[in-house]
Amino acid sequence: MSAAAPAAGMAPVRAAPRRRLGAGAYAMPLLAVMLVAFNLPILAMLAQSFLSPEPTVAHWAELVQTPMYLRVLGNTFWMAAITAGVCGLLGYPLAFWIRTLSGRAQLVALTLVLMPFWISVLVRTYAWIVVLGNAGMVNRALLGLGLVEAPVPFLYNTLGVTIGTTNVLLPFLVLPLLAAMMKLDERLFQAAATLGASQRAIFWRVFFPLTLPAFAAGILLVFILTLGFYVTPAILGGGRVPMIGNMLDVLINLMPRWELAAAISTLLLVATLGLFALYRVIGARGA
Amino acid sequence: MKAGPLATLTALLSLGFLLVPIVIVIIMSFSSASSLQFPPPGLSLRWYDSFFADPRWVEALLTSAILALVSSAIALVLGSLAAYAITRGTFRGRGWLEANFVAPMILPAIVIAVALYLFLARIGLLGSAAGLVLAHVILAVPFVVLIVGVGIRGLDPRIEQIAFTLGASRPQMLWRVLLPNLVPSLASAYILAFISSFDEVIVTLFVAGTWQTVPKRMFNELMLEVNPTITAIATIMIGLSLAAIAGVAAIAGRRGMRSMMGDGGS
Repeated sequence: MSAAAPAAGMAPVRAAPRRRLGAGAYAMPLLAVMLVAFNLPILAMLAQSFLSPEPTVAHWAELVQTPMYLRVLGNTFWMAAITAGVCGLLGYPLAFWIRTLSGRAQLVALTLVLMPFWISVLVRTYAWIVVLGNAGMVNRALLGLGLVEAPVPFLYNTLGVTIGTTNVLLPFLVLPLLAAMMKLDERLFQAAATLGASQRAIFWRVFFPLTLPAFAAGILLVFILTLGFYVTPAILGGGRVPMIGNMLDVLINLMPRWELAAAISTLLLVATLGLFALYRVIGARGA
Repeated sequence: MKAGPLATLTALLSLGFLLVPIVIVIIMSFSSASSLQFPPPGLSLRWYDSFFADPRWVEALLTSAILALVSSAIALVLGSLAAYAITRGTFRGRGWLEANFVAPMILPAIVIAVALYLFLARIGLLGSAAGLVLAHVILAVPFVVLIVGVGIRGLDPRIEQIAFTLGASRPQMLWRVLLPNLVPSLASAYILAFISSFDEVIVTLFVAGTWQTVPKRMFNELMLEVNPTITAIATIMIGLSLAAIAGVAAIAGRRGMRSMMGDGGS
């Protein structure tokens, strides 16, 4: 082999001679647009968080030294944890139930879960004002029936934001979890039953452990997505449940403190990408 | 495995929790009452009338439609060419390139909003139509790159090689061989890119300046008062989204049938 190859002095055997760039050249127009309108702005934001206008870490120092900013950061992670937990509690039984349905019923249930996925977050958030707002459907009914003296404050608090974020993010947990559940072989559970395991034992010792990686990945995905929420806390939080997104809005549009906003936005970006890398690792273990 | 009563109950409540608000908004948009009374005392189209009678809403609708048409068309052209390059190219770093093109879908919209706001402010394009279109193109590109990429992967590359063998240049092959075979993928990609642009609110709030789109107006009105006109707009947006996914599902269904009958790609 080593003697034969260079002897003829020919190019290695390849397909037809390629033009210099080949098909790859067709990515150039989009790459140019993305570099200018996406990558450059992200990098400029990163740079701006370290400039004022000369290089400094003052904005970052202010961020970690101001209790108010830290409280909003903490509140955002707390809301993300609550949302992830509630989505897990609601989503697992939902995915499990859809798996047990047969043929047509399964398709209908799947469509119903998938449908809200494509409807505007703004519309779905607004819907909760119609249903649970102070002048909304439920409160009007409660007042009309004389069950309460004053409207029940479902919204404009942590509960309201949790309802909104959970409603938007539930499909993100259910769909991949259901896909993982569908891959499990039913004969596995029949075998466990033959060996004398109770239904409860089969679920907790066979079924649940097998779906745990996908379940954990789904919960983490919901957590990541909640971190960047802006519309839902703005509408359903009534200013009482500030999250990172809303703080950025204030720092950009009201204060304005652009360098600080750049630092906080960069922090959110890094947290999201870091957790997303973790999500990929967990997801890969489940597959 | 069977679902016990508790699991079934939780599942049904979860499904209700997902769907009830959407259903309620649709019903309320046809209410004749000016309060959010349920069930509505009567049915009427007054909130749709008040939407179409308000020139500010009609203008916002027009802006949203033109913005979505233009930016998803640009995203479709650039994104499809890039999808071809990534799928059929042999250069290094294709994975990274695709990840970069899909990134706007994964990053929080608020981060993109802040970055674009600061950038457009610096180059003097904040609040300009060009800046707004550019922002929407960036956000629509991931849908096109992903969907058209899947479409190209599903085609037999030998068809393209035969076209080259018969003397077609690459642009000729793209236009006369690949494009006709990709029409379903391109249509799906365009529909989803259009909806993503039409529904976009966060980045638009930051970079649109005085331009009013439907979601932006809706967001701002919501912060001020509860106005039943918004239920009509919300229902229009729901209808548009459902029509879009029905369209995409119909396209996917036809392709599924075709591939089952052994016609078309694998």
